[in-house]
Amino acid sequence: MSSDLKLGFIPLNDCAPLAVADAQGFFRAEGLSVTLSREASWATIRDKVAVGALDGGHMLAPMVLAAGLGLGGAGARLIAPLAMNLNGSAITLAAAHAAELRRLDPEGAAARTARPLARLIEARRGQGAPLLTFAAVFPYSMHNYALRYWLAEAGIDPDRDVRLVTAPPPRMAEQLRSGLIDGFCVGAPWNAQAEADGTGEIVAWAADVWQAGPDKVLGVAEDWAEREPATLQALLRALLRAAQWSDAPENRPALAALLARPDYVGAPSEVIARTLTDAPEGLIYHRYAANFPWRSHASWFYAQMLRWGQIAPSVEGSVTARRVYRPDLYRVAATSLGVQPPPQDDKIEGAHADPWSLDGLPMPADRFCDGRPFDPSEPELYAAGFAITRA
Amino acid sequence: MKGYPYVGPGLRQPPMRVLVIDPDPARAALVAEGLKGIEPLEVRQATVFVAADALAFAPDVVVVACDSPDRDTLESLRDATASNPRPVVMFADRSEPGLADEAVRAGVAAYVVDGLSPARVRPVLEAAMTRFQLMQQLRTELAKAKADLASRKTVDRAKGLLMKERGLDEDAAYKLLRKLAMDSGRPIGAVASDLLTFAGVLKGDGA
Repeated sequence: MSSDLKLGFIPLNDCAPLAVADAQGFFRAEGLSVTLSREASWATIRDKVAVGALDGGHMLAPMVLAAGLGLGGAGARLIAPLAMNLNGSAITLAAAHAAELRRLDPEGAAARTARPLARLIEARRGQGAPLLTFAAVFPYSMHNYALRYWLAEAGIDPDRDVRLVTAPPPRMAEQLRSGLIDGFCVGAPWNAQAEADGTGEIVAWAADVWQAGPDKVLGVAEDWAEREPATLQALLRALLRAAQWSDAPENRPALAALLARPDYVGAPSEVIARTLTDAPEGLIYHRYAANFPWRSHASWFYAQMLRWGQIAPSVEGSVTARRVYRPDLYRVAATSLGVQPPPQDDKIEGAHADPWSLDGLPMPADRFCDGRPFDPSEPELYAAGFAITRA
Repeated sequence: MKGYPYVGPGLRQPPMRVLVIDPDPARAALVAEGLKGIEPLEVRQATVFVAADALAFAPDVVVVACDSPDRDTLESLRDATASNPRPVVMFADRSEPGLADEAVRAGVAAYVVDGLSPARVRPVLEAAMTRFQLMQQLRTELAKAKADLASRKTVDRAKGLLMKERGLDEDAAYKLLRKLAMDSGRPIGAVASDLLTFAGVLKGDGA
């Protein structure tokens, strides 16, 4: 077993399992000596893991799949043996736009739907005003898909009625302030940061688009996982324990202080705390089987790639979507810690309006904002079945 | 290579435009020094990448540091079919084994390890631009080959339909399709596709 590891992360609240395992000694307890490396871009983490310059990293869940499908990263074979969190992201609009939405449609704004935005876009079209510009962090990210889902639910075509661009998370608030963009979808704490600066306002949480939706995963190279099975298990155990620690309400103040350190997220702790303590189910690190890599999540991401024309349907695509998520590896680690894993690899997503129970395991409400459930065995039909779709 | 065709006397050659994304103006100065002798030349330096500015400037090549957070933005621009792709040169001051190859395979046109020196600027940028154009050409050819293949499959299916419904042999079915294409002045693939769609509607699909 190799014990010296180098793991990459991006400054976001959801890097907590890595930061906590480092600071609270969970890596050491598993005999691991880990160096955390703060990286500047998702593409760099992906490429470094692919070539072994990093042993693993904090990754956008759909990016792992995209790499396997040959969409960026040239077919790097990465796997996701553990999910790092549920929820956590939000959609923020420039403060002036947010005020305008409340004026146009107070009810729709209070319900955190994009319907008031559809009216604003309509009004701007009448005035000949330029398209509103929204930023997400990466083409293959939950942020891009959540933003598109939210817009399309209100009849806004994300490829025609607005302009979508990519920007790095720590720079979103600054681009909003300078007027370069009108809104964005990003992980915590960068939405709260824009609110604290007075430049932006959170208009929807990720949970308003998809309750308890997936977000980040641990990504490692498939061949590394095969070469170092014991190291991988030790890493998964350390991260699971750190995720448990991060989820405990009594640890949240200490977590906010830890993440505020410049070597982790480097934002004020009260801004970081906002998503950890204030938002409803703002960021789930462990409960509700949050760390389980559901193959149905991977299928849903594949369906989004189809829906938005990022990829054409193929047998190979749906097989790859299932191959990159590795619930089998998670189960070994969880069982050894006495954490009950779900008995199945897939579930129907979006079928529960209330918390439910899976073989005694508490599970969250998981509805989408349009109420449409997702059957993981039918990604092509699902993608083609929306009013706004490129599939 | 754009910016370097032979241009006859009296014609003004468009400048070679280089966009350097780096907070440190020294890097842009270094790039400009390395490209000395190329006339006309415009080197612009920006602290961060701004897509609209870049589009307006229309650089022939973008130079960016490996540890720049703008890498995700540049990568997503390359993925977007609508925007105009540009060759991107990345450089790192310190080598990560293999990262260069991976970045190049991911679509970066060139990757320079151990920083840039004025002497290396010109060959690296020129090689990146050539390589990029070659890749673009291959991509276009691949897309065309895929479209041709899809069209051939459609024609085969339409032929099959005509053989079955009209009792024609293969040769006669193809001749009929070709005649329909010539009469309507449209590609045979489009005619075949229409035929299949209408046949589906007559059978009750999608009505």
